[in-house]
This record gives sequence, C-alpha cells and structure tokens, in this order.
Amino acid sequence: MSRVLLEVNELTTNYITRFRENVYAVDHVSLKVEEGRSLGIAGESGCGKSTLALSLMGYYFAPLHYSGGEIIVDGQNITGMAPDDVRKTILGNEISYIPQAAMNALNPTQKVIHFIEDVIQAHHPETTKKEIYELASERFELLGLSPKVLQKYSVELSGGMKQRTVIATSVILSPKVLIADEPSSALDVTSQKMVIKMVMDLMEKGIIKALIFITHELPLLYHVTDDIMVMYAGQIVEKGTVDEVIFDPIHPYSKALMGSIIVPEAGLRDVKLTAIPGTPPNLKKPPSGCRFADRCKFVMPECRAVSVNLRDIGEGRAYRCIIPEEDLRKAYKNEG
Amino acid sequence: MKHIIGQVFRSGKFLVGFVMFMAIVLTVVIYPLFIKDEPLDIVSRGTFLPPGIYVNVYDSIEFSPRYTLILDEAAARRIASKLSHEDRLAMQEWLVAMGVPPNKIDIEDTANLLELWENTFDPTARIPGMTNADRNYYIRLNSALDGLLATEGATVAAVNSETGVLEEKDVIDQTDYVNVGEVPNIRLLPLGTDNFGRDVLTELVKATGVSLTIGFVAGIIATSIGLVFGLLSGYLGGFVDDLIGFLNNLFTVIPPLMLAILIAFSIGQDQRGAYTVAVVIGVTSWPWTSRAVRAQVISLRNRDHVNLSKLSGHSIAYILLTDILPYIASYVVMALILQISQGILTEAGLSILGLGPRTTDVPTLGLMMSWAMIYQAPIMGIWWAYFPVIVVIAVISFSMNLMNTGLDRVFNPALRE
Amino acid sequence: MKAYRNYYLKKIVWFVITLQCAFILNFILPRMMPGDPVAGIVARMAQGMSNATGVQAVYEQYTELFGTDKPMLEQFIIYVRNVFHGDFGYSISQYPRTVADVIKSSIWWTVALQFPAIIVGWILGNTLGALSAYLRKGFDNVLLPISIFFSNLPAFAMAIILLVIFGVSLKWAPTSGGYGFDMIPNNSWEFVWSVIVHYQLPFWAIVLITIGGQAIGMRSMAIYELNADYVKYARFLGVKDRKIIMYVFRNAMLPQITGLAQSIGTMVGGALFAEIIFSYPGLGSTILTAVRGGDYPLISATTLIITIMSLVAFFVLEILYGLIDPRIKAAQSE
Ligand SMILES: Nc1ncnc2c1ncn2[C@@H]1O[C@H](COP(=O)(O)OP(=O)(O)OP(=O)(O)O)[C@@H](O)[C@H]1O
Ligand SMILES: [Mg+2]
Repeated sequence: MSRVLLEVNELTTNYITRFRENVYAVDHVSLKVEEGRSLGIAGESGCGKSTLALSLMGYYFAPLHYSGGEIIVDGQNITGMAPDDVRKTILGNEISYIPQAAMNALNPTQKVIHFIEDVIQAHHPETTKKEIYELASERFELLGLSPKVLQKYSVELSGGMKQRTVIATSVILSPKVLIADEPSSALDVTSQKMVIKMVMDLMEKGIIKALIFITHELPLLYHVTDDIMVMYAGQIVEKGTVDEVIFDPIHPYSKALMGSIIVPEAGLRDVKLTAIPGTPPNLKKPPSGCRFADRCKFVMPECRAVSVNLRDIGEGRAYRCIIPEEDLRKAYKNEG
Repeated sequence: MKHIIGQVFRSGKFLVGFVMFMAIVLTVVIYPLFIKDEPLDIVSRGTFLPPGIYVNVYDSIEFSPRYTLILDEAAARRIASKLSHEDRLAMQEWLVAMGVPPNKIDIEDTANLLELWENTFDPTARIPGMTNADRNYYIRLNSALDGLLATEGATVAAVNSETGVLEEKDVIDQTDYVNVGEVPNIRLLPLGTDNFGRDVLTELVKATGVSLTIGFVAGIIATSIGLVFGLLSGYLGGFVDDLIGFLNNLFTVIPPLMLAILIAFSIGQDQRGAYTVAVVIGVTSWPWTSRAVRAQVISLRNRDHVNLSKLSGHSIAYILLTDILPYIASYVVMALILQISQGILTEAGLSILGLGPRTTDVPTLGLMMSWAMIYQAPIMGIWWAYFPVIVVIAVISFSMNLMNTGLDRVFNPALRE
Repeated sequence: MKAYRNYYLKKIVWFVITLQCAFILNFILPRMMPGDPVAGIVARMAQGMSNATGVQAVYEQYTELFGTDKPMLEQFIIYVRNVFHGDFGYSISQYPRTVADVIKSSIWWTVALQFPAIIVGWILGNTLGALSAYLRKGFDNVLLPISIFFSNLPAFAMAIILLVIFGVSLKWAPTSGGYGFDMIPNNSWEFVWSVIVHYQLPFWAIVLITIGGQAIGMRSMAIYELNADYVKYARFLGVKDRKIIMYVFRNAMLPQITGLAQSIGTMVGGALFAEIIFSYPGLGSTILTAVRGGDYPLISATTLIITIMSLVAFFVLEILYGLIDPRIKAAQSE
C-alpha cells in the first residue's frame, strides 16, 4: 500500500452564524487520499463541499469552527497544532487550495507576482524576490502560462486566465495535496476543458502528489479522478472508485445525481436545475433519521426513525442507507 | 405594510431614534399650550441673565409675610457667597507673609479663616514686595469683611410724598425669610435670557419648531427633485441620463453651501422668510438623492415585472409610479430623513453667516446660534445661550441618523451583521 | 496607455465644463434677482459704507465691471476677462481695498488650514474605521458610537465645543485669530510660534469633523473587503494576517479617495465654519464680514474662489485615484 498523504477521521466542523445558530456543514466525514491518487467529491449546491474543502486544511477562523475528528497529513497529526504553525507548515506547503470563486480570488490591486512573493515569504521568509521571480516564471511557463502574467493586476486578466493564474499560484510551493473546489464551474466550456486539463497535468508533471477535486456534477468526475465520494447534507452518502459510483451507484441520491443534468452555465450555478425533486434539509436543524428521506423514492417509516451509518461493504466502498444494496440495485433495474 | 412597520419598530436603533425625535416634536407642540409667552418678547433688561428662579425683591419686602428662621449656617453661607476664591487666596498670602504657619490656614474653612484674619490683619503693617495698590486692595477687602460680619439688619426707607423726607419704613433682620410661594411675582428662567433679554427656553422651543419646519420643507423639496431626476435618469437612460448626470456632478462639485450663500444673499435680508430659506436649501441639496435613486432604479429597471409592464404597453409614468416607486419607497424615506436633518444643519450654517431667515419674525436654531456667536457667548462662558441650541441640533440629527440606520438594517438585510 | 489617456481626457473636459458652469452660475445668480444688479449693490452698500465718494466710485466701477448697459453675453465676456485678470472690483465693506487684495490676504490662511486638516482627518478617520472594522467587538463598540456622534455634530458645534473646552476652560490655546492680536506679521520665531498656537484649535476642529464621516464610511468599506474572496484565498495559502490586513485596507482606502473628492465641497463648506468660530483670518471669516457689510463683490468672488479650490481638489483627487487604483485602468480599457 502506498503512502497516505491525507487522512481524515470523523471530522466535524460547524458555522456559527451571527444569530448564534450552528450549521453543521461537515458531519463526521472520514476520507483517505493516497499518493498518486485523486479523489472526487460530488454533491448538490449547499451540501457542504466547500466547507469540507476548507475544513480539510485544519485551519479555522470565524464563522467556521472545528468541533471534532482528526486530520493526519503525511503521517503527521495536525489536529491539535497551533493555528500559526498550521499556517506556516501545512497551508500552501503540504495542502493547497483552489477556491471556488477564482474570479475574485486575487486581490484586485496587487500584481500577481507580489501576491506570490507574499505567499512564498510567508513560508520561507529568507527567499529573495529574484529567486521568487525565477521560480514563478519557471512554474508559470511549465503550466503553459506566459510569465508576463506575473506583472499584471488581476483586473487586467480575462476570466479563464485568472482561473489558471490562481491554479498556478496555488501550487507554487509544490504542495503534496491539492484541493480544487469547482475550479471549472464558472467558466465557458472551452475554458472549462482547459482548466480541468491543467489540474490533471499538475499530477502528471509531479507538481502535486494527490488531488481532491470537488464538483456538483458527478458525471464530470469520470475523466478526472480515481475515487469518488458523494456528499449529501454534510454527510458522505457513498464512497467508491469512479467506475463503481458512476456505473453502479448504490445510494438513491447518487443514482439521482447521475441521472440529473446540470447545465454548466455561468451565473446559473446557484439555480437548481437538477431533476431531483425537493430541496435538501436545513443544516441548522437536520432531520434525525436519514437526511435524504424526504426526497427518497424508496422511503420507509424506519428511515426517519433511526439514524443511518455509513455501511462499509469492503474495498473502500461504502454507502449510507438501511436498504440492502441488492434491493436497491434491483429497484433501479426495474425502473430501467 | 403593517408587517413592515412592525419590523421597523422592532429595530432597537430605530426605536431609540424615534423616541428621541418624538420627544422633541412633542415638546415643540405641547410647550406653547402651557407657556403662552411670546417667544420673541423681551423679558429682561440687560443681557444674558443666568438660568434660575427670579424672585421680585420689592414684592418680598412689601407684599409677602415675613417669617423668622433661626438657621446656624446662615451667616457663614452669606459670607461664603461674598468671599471669592481669589479673595481667600489673597488672604492666605497675607497671613503667610505675616508669619502664620501655612499648615494652619485652611482657606475653605470660612470661620477659621475669618478668625485668623481678624487676629492678624493690621492695615499699617508693611510687607516686603507689596505695592501700594496691593495694600489698598487689602484694606478694601478688610472693610468688606467688616460689613459681612455685621449682625444688624438692613433698613428700608421710602420718600414721604408730602414732606419729601426719607423715612424709615421697615427693618429687615438677617433672620427674616419670605415663602417663595407667597411672593406674587416670581419668574422661572430655566435657561436664563439671551442677548436681547428674551427667555431662552421659550425661544428655543419655538426655534426648534421653526427649524424642523425648515428642515422638512427643504427635505421634501430636495427629495422630490432628486426623486424625479433619479427616476427619469435611471429609467430612461441615454441622453436624459447624461444630462441629469451632468447637472448632478456639477452640483456635487460646486459646494452646495456656496450656491446657497449666493442665492440667499441675492434674495436680500428682507425677502428671506423661513420658507424662502427652506426653498433655497432644498433646491441646492438634491444631487445625492438623485444619484442614489438613479442607482436603485437601474437595478430595478430590468426586473421581470417591469418588463412585463413595458410589454403590456403601460406609459412611462405608470411604470415609474406602480412598478418602480413602491420598490424604492423605503429608500426614498431614508433619503428624506437625511435631507431633513441636513436641511436643519444648513439653515443653522446660513444663519451663522447672517444669511438665514430675517431676524424679526421667528427664531430658528441657527439664528439663536448666530446671536450667541455675535455676542461671544462661548468665550464669555455664557453656556445657556449656545449649549442648549447645540444639544437640540445634535439630538435632532443624531436621532434621525439612528432612525435611518434602523431602517437600513430592516430594508437591506445584507447590511445586518 | 490609451485607456489612461481617455480617462484623463474625459476628466479634463469635465473640469473645463464644470469650471465654466461655476463662472456662469456666479455670474447669473445675482442677475436673476429683480432689478439692476449694480443699483442693488449700491443700494445695499449705502447701509454698509459711510464714505459718499467711495459709493460713487464703486458705482462707476461696477457699471464698468458688469457693463450692465451691454447685452448679457458681452457682460459675461467682460466679467470673465476681468476675473482672469484677478479684477473683482472694489470691496464695499473694506473700501478702498480691492476684492482681490482682501482675498489675497485671507486665502492662504484657508489653504494652510483646511487642506492639511482635511487630509489628516481623512487619514485618521480611515485608520480608525479600518481598525474598528478589523477588531470589531470592543473597539468597535466604543469607536463606532463616538464616530456617529461626531459625524452628527455640525461643524460649528464641534468648533464651539473645542473652543469652550480647550480655549476657554483649559486655556490650552487661544480662542480667536490667526496670530496674537498684538502682533504684526513678520518672520520672527515669536510670530511663527503664535501662528502655530493659534492654528491648533481650528485645525483639530476640522480634523474631528472630518474623522467622523470618514471612519463610518471606511468601516463599512473594510467590512465589505474583509469578506471578499481574495482574503479567504490568501489566508488559506498561508499568507500572514498582517499582510492580508494591508490588502484589505489598501483596497478599502482607495475608493475612499473618490469619497473624499465627492465630499470635498461639503467639507470645505463645513471647515469655513470652524474658521468663523475661531475668527481665523481666512475665507470663512471673509464671507462673514462680507455678508455683514452687504459686500456683494466680495461674496461673489469668495464663493467663486472656494468653488474653484474645491474643483481643483476634486480633480486632483480623481486623477490621483486613476493613477493608483488599477481597477480604474481596467474599467477604462473594457
Ligand atoms: N459563512 C457561513 N455562515 C453560515 N453558514 C454558512 C456559511 N457558509 C456556508 N454556510 C452554509 O453551510 C452549508 C454548506 O455550504 P457550502 O458552501 O459548503 O456548500 P457547497 O456544497 O460548497 O455549495 P456550492 O455548490 O453552492 O458551492 C450551506 O447550507 C450554507 O448555507
Ligand atoms: Mg461550494
């Protein structure tokens, strides 16, 4: 078995809103990413994907709070580490991050190179500006970006260019794990392909060692990652390899996600176009039983009564439903 | 509608502001019902009488029953009120120079000080470094103290109308008192009088009313102009927008106060009534309302319901009134509130410059301020002539601002933190 | 570069047009009043001036200056030409001084007082606003109400409060004038010191007036920026908090420059009252004497000068902003 770069056990984090309400957006999530592998996380808007992405880095600030679980980065447990140590040794260095809203991720009044200087010097204060410039232009070139971009302000870059600049900046320190939060969703189709290709190249070129790729389009992951986790209302509802989850989904939600079509159009991202009827539960007051019960075709009275655990069915495959897998498969087959 | 009002009143800030504002408005309305004095009547000869209860001396001697009260402190108090802090310090200096140990002198203990003084003072004594003027001062001080220590009463005399001779009528003892309730003429001047000898409180209440009216008229004019311009330029766009935008920028960059000064001066003092001033302020202060309304309209003009209305062939006026105005109504109310409080401040400013309403009809907060400034009340320590005015202005503008912040939080949930 | 050129070209055209409009307003407003402006001026002047030959001289001078017998357009051209030569006619209340002379002796006091004070107030206000946005609880609870209170006080009230507290009660600084009343302006240290001492109260009054509004504006701006996506991104790449705060403040501060430009007219207006309260020998006090003396030529010229000063400040700020905020450049090239 190869090296585990990121291992997360029963991680729970919550937002505390200004009305002092708790939003448990990441609820007992466990995952493992090995060297050389990539993990896809899929789920509807609002299910907690972005929150999970942030939580994985072990660096919390209001309104997001840590409430339980552990994070092990390349064998080092960072759960109790001082925040400033996490910032210095983990962020950007071990785990890095591409934010969902890459359009606005760069400071509009700062040249790209100056931001890169700040990032690098935050971890290696002794590096000189010249070294940084050389490193950055080399890295940009390697990723197919002109080093001229370094001298520009983000407002001067086009959308796709901004996105690619953000990606290149995120991996400037060659982190072991990269978490990409919907890096392509706000772009037009061509840019989308380019961006996804770029992220996959990072693995091939050895700049990063493992990838976590987040999207709301489950089918998109087919070409991108090795494993998939499906998330619903802050919980993992299904885990497996790409082939397993895409061609043989067990959980009714995964099944529905595969059938749903989401139009990847800018500006419409928040509009629910999925074919799944109903809305996800309010995470401020999650239902006690199965969280998917209200929208599930196969719902039974017991579903609402008992809370369901993730059922491990071997070789990393798991799902969260009280109905046996064979019964679910049979039901799907009958539907055609 | 009801729901919105309910929500507005649940906002703490709005409520506090509203209560403060209503307290002022109610005072303005209710005060004249009880105190019927004319606000511009001159009640005192001499300027700037300090606040207090004024008791008629003639009445207390002639018309009021006299009582004898034996109060131990009376004499000491009397002396203390005559003996200023400077006098005490001067006495201390003398005593020390005459060899009294400084630690034995407590200048706040009047009885002790006077006793020491009586024992040590010697008009003939020569103290090194003391000028003649100083010595005369001490002699004067000493004789004043002598009078203070007297225990006899004062004699009241009147001229006999037949003989023309001064005759003793009455002797007032140091222990004589009158009951204030039995004196026919007393006048309460809670804020004293101003430079003309007018009752400041009565004048202030009236002035507050007038200033609020000016603010209201100015605010309504400015908001109306701003609203119409903002609606037109935001909705129509194109040339109209450019033109209004130009005017708008022009009147933003040219200080509104300068315009108001020019116009007010050109009108002339005699023509400047309170309403004229309000109009001048109104027509020079609309630009930011217009700019704000325009921004709101632009964000609305492509909404579905507006497009629908357009498609069904409604006129521009109809669309503006029914499809746009209701959505920005709350915003316009907030703009109005700000314009009102701004109008009150501008009136005050113009009046200080001598460009406010003419001074003969009604008082305004600005005019009161202006008179206080001309008579140098702040430098002379006459706080009652200017401080209450500042407080009223500050409370009005603070309360309106609070109401606005409260409204903002209700209507723009994004701002709620 | 082309983008920049367009930006400045637009601004300059704007400046020229606005300047013309200011002239036109200054010219037209008194003429909109019923009656002959010169007659009006002289009528008012008769109350303000005892010198009969002076009245006659002024009357003749203004008939010439305004050219009231000529068509409007020609009058305007004459007026503009005279103004460009610095010829504003005679002052009525201070005859035989010319208006230009009166203004020349007061304008520098105003410039030296107001511009530093507004800039210091702007910087302090923005710093406080930013701090209050960043620290929120505690600091915010104290600073915000104070700022709101200050920004609700009219300028003259703030000036009076400072005057009474620091001038009258504590006697820390003199209460009126630009220098000791017993002095004649010269180069001695004593005089300079007196000027500095007299400068304090009006200066701080204007600073305080400016702080309130700026702090509130900056606070909401900074809160908005603190929630921006770039802040989150920078944090998760491990950039130090101190650096991130600098980004935020810089970005929030830049639009405040336009905010300052937008409100410079109002601020200058407010600051004039500080001058009046402290009898500072600047343009504010000049307006006051002019109004009291019914001195129309002086009022007209002073308001024109103040308008032009505000205009210039406005455009300098706008141009400065265009230079230092890359967002403007990007917006222009779209
Ligand atoms: N700052 C916050 N304060 C409180 N609640 C929040 C905050 N940010 C997100 N949430 C809540 O947490 C839940 C998860 O949000 P999250 O952004 O992680 O969803 P997501 O799956 O990334 O959705 P999307 O596809 O829209 O990006 C949502 O219910 C959201 O309302
Ligand atoms: Mg997200």
